[in-house]
Amino acid sequence: MSARIVATGTGVISSLAAGIEAFETALYAGYTGIGPKTLFADSVPLGAAGEIRNFAPQQWLGSKGLRVLDRSARLLCVAAHLALESSGLSAQVAADASPDFGLVCGTMFGSVHSIASFDWSGLTEGPNLVNPMEFPNTVINSPAGQAAIKHRLRGVNSTISAGLVSGIYAIHYAMEFLRFGRAQALLAGGVEELCEESYLSCRKAGIISPHDRIRPFAHERDGTVLGEGSALWVLETDECAFRRGAKPFLEVCGFGSSHDAHSIDTFNVRAVGATSAIRLALQAAGVGQDAIGFIIANASGSPAGDAMEAHALQKVFGARLRDIPICAPKAAFGESLGASGALLAVTAGIALQKKLVPPTAGFESCEAGLRLSSSPQPFEGDYALVNCFGCDGNNAALVLRSVDGEQT
Amino acid sequence: MRRVVVTGIGLLTPIGSGKDEFWRALVAGKCGIAPVASFDTSAFPVHKGAEVKDFTPESYFRKRSPQEMGRGSQLAIAAARMALQDSGLDDAVYDKGRVGVSMGTTSGEPQIVERYNDIRKSAGLESIPKEMPPRYPCHVIPSNVAIELDLHGPCLMIPTACAAGNYAIGYGFDMIRTERADLILGGGADPFSRITYMGFARLGAIAPDRCQPFDKNRQGMIPGEGAAILVLEALDAALARSAHIYAEILGYGVSCDSHHMTAAHPQGEGAMRAMASAMRESGVSLKDVDYISAHGTGTPTNDRVESLAVRRLFGECADKVPMSSIKSMIGHTMGAASAIEAAACALSIETGIVPPTINYEVPDPECDLDYVPNQARRVDPRVVLNNAYAFGGNNASLCMARCEA
Repeated sequence: MSARIVATGTGVISSLAAGIEAFETALYAGYTGIGPKTLFADSVPLGAAGEIRNFAPQQWLGSKGLRVLDRSARLLCVAAHLALESSGLSAQVAADASPDFGLVCGTMFGSVHSIASFDWSGLTEGPNLVNPMEFPNTVINSPAGQAAIKHRLRGVNSTISAGLVSGIYAIHYAMEFLRFGRAQALLAGGVEELCEESYLSCRKAGIISPHDRIRPFAHERDGTVLGEGSALWVLETDECAFRRGAKPFLEVCGFGSSHDAHSIDTFNVRAVGATSAIRLALQAAGVGQDAIGFIIANASGSPAGDAMEAHALQKVFGARLRDIPICAPKAAFGESLGASGALLAVTAGIALQKKLVPPTAGFESCEAGLRLSSSPQPFEGDYALVNCFGCDGNNAALVLRSVDGEQT
Repeated sequence: MRRVVVTGIGLLTPIGSGKDEFWRALVAGKCGIAPVASFDTSAFPVHKGAEVKDFTPESYFRKRSPQEMGRGSQLAIAAARMALQDSGLDDAVYDKGRVGVSMGTTSGEPQIVERYNDIRKSAGLESIPKEMPPRYPCHVIPSNVAIELDLHGPCLMIPTACAAGNYAIGYGFDMIRTERADLILGGGADPFSRITYMGFARLGAIAPDRCQPFDKNRQGMIPGEGAAILVLEALDAALARSAHIYAEILGYGVSCDSHHMTAAHPQGEGAMRAMASAMRESGVSLKDVDYISAHGTGTPTNDRVESLAVRRLFGECADKVPMSSIKSMIGHTMGAASAIEAAACALSIETGIVPPTINYEVPDPECDLDYVPNQARRVDPRVVLNNAYAFGGNNASLCMARCEA
């Protein structure tokens, strides 16, 4: 149960860019994928979002079998395709259809749009006229099931929902399965599509910025802007990676989680759970806070959420906090709900490899005591902390270590 | 690694709530299927369902109000409260930071989406109350349980559809044996859903009158609702506090058909792999298995493929293993199903009795196993397998046993 878990490939698609190289370029240039929302403009006009414009999955997946896939399934299939390619496993997975490859996918809403549309069609046209081909899309594990069929993944296929921290939980779940030897390699991360139902849910809950601006840790922050996308790592034990001659670029060395159990829709200002999640992740990684070279923050522009995160960081890092570079990448791709944790983790992975913390897109100002990156920043050490906190009280954190092609 | 045992059971099912009432009904072969009361089925070709009757959520809530959440959360909290009570635990035993919730579901809180659409149709999107949509995403179910019971450990939903309960109990088992948690409330919940009912009706998968798993004339499944929670803790800790131990969790196996979203692999390939890895991980052989709790939905395909998978994997041993489907009595309770079935397995291990498959009349040559027809039977099972299969090709088998400390 102590095997090291390493990442050997990354697949990412977001409003910022698709593909790891384009994502990295856009990230370090300080670009943002956030702009005017064009999806579901008929029912909810206006608003900004980190929307994937002109999404054309056929460029990666071909057009065969695409019609029945909803947006979530398409995003996940694209990320899976990109991740397998980047790990050098595509050919082997396609040829063997081995039960040793699988997928663990985090999501918050699933495709609530597919679910609501199916019901709507029954409500307006009658239950005998709904399209039975659309029924499979109404289960929350549908994107993962579709991706398994598309990419011939016959091993574990799990969908994980832990709200905003789903992506981080999915990575942790995959690590456990790999350590038990239940798979040789697992795609792990998350997916979330932008749709009317989740957008309205967040707007009605008051978490979206009335000015349609996302300003993590800024004094003027007034809410978040939603995004969408999918990010997956290919995870395997270092032994498996070594055996097939793959070059791991990081080790996922610690996961921590803690539930505040105090409210379903407000962040805990005392940051008890968030602090505990970070400490547990450090403990699992076997390092102290002084090992952390930089932080990929959860910060989404939420007044209470960002304050809670700052408070947790103060408690864990104390005086050292002002010297640690922090990046809040949600400013670049938006609050992508169940995909957020995976997008944050992938961002941290890129920064570890590049040895440079990316800038926080649109940086203007920041709460006192935090060294939020306004431009690419060097850092010291090999370890990164990724934070992910939800307003339902669920908190999770990961500690990552750069392995830089070394055989671990 | 630590051994993991079941020390508490809480459940709400169409044939009764609480383990005693449930078990009496199950052994008696009681049927919980009735005309659907949750919504008007006059526009549907079928009208039967398996709903939880006489549920008064208020009696299980101490901290919050059931009106603040959907029916999935209400059922889950009730089952969790019952399970903890049954386990005899008091607050002082465990550090709350090491007590978590692992749940499974098919649809989470589908009734929220249904009300959303009702209001949208009658009054428009702007009339939807602001507090309603945030109650939808399925992770709120375990979070609501954690809040109501003040639990601070790992908390997640594994929405792997109709196999979800087994996945969730499996995750809880993993967390405890690796010492990442000391106690997990593991199980599943699904409220009755118009969306699910409509989908299965349109696929022609719902039986008009009753559920007859493995019978030659079976006509389909009956959608249901329910929740079950098992209290999972380490054997040593359970012994130390002199807890009542129902059963031990030995292991589980999962697989993906990677074949079709709704239809099982025709040769039961994924189902076989899930059972085989569950047994391998549990260190038991084919001859050790004394009873199989079938997925047994009552659809022509599922029952044929599941029987075939058991036959192919067990060979001659298959003739000696009784396998029954309690869905004949409680319907298909979706994400709660395998959790309720795991509870039934624990009770079978404890009492020595295995529940029957009711409505079994005409043998099907394609289903040639011993389905415990119509009468509960004393088997004194030591090792049992609990099968669950789902949309998306998700398969999970859980292996449980009498705890020999």
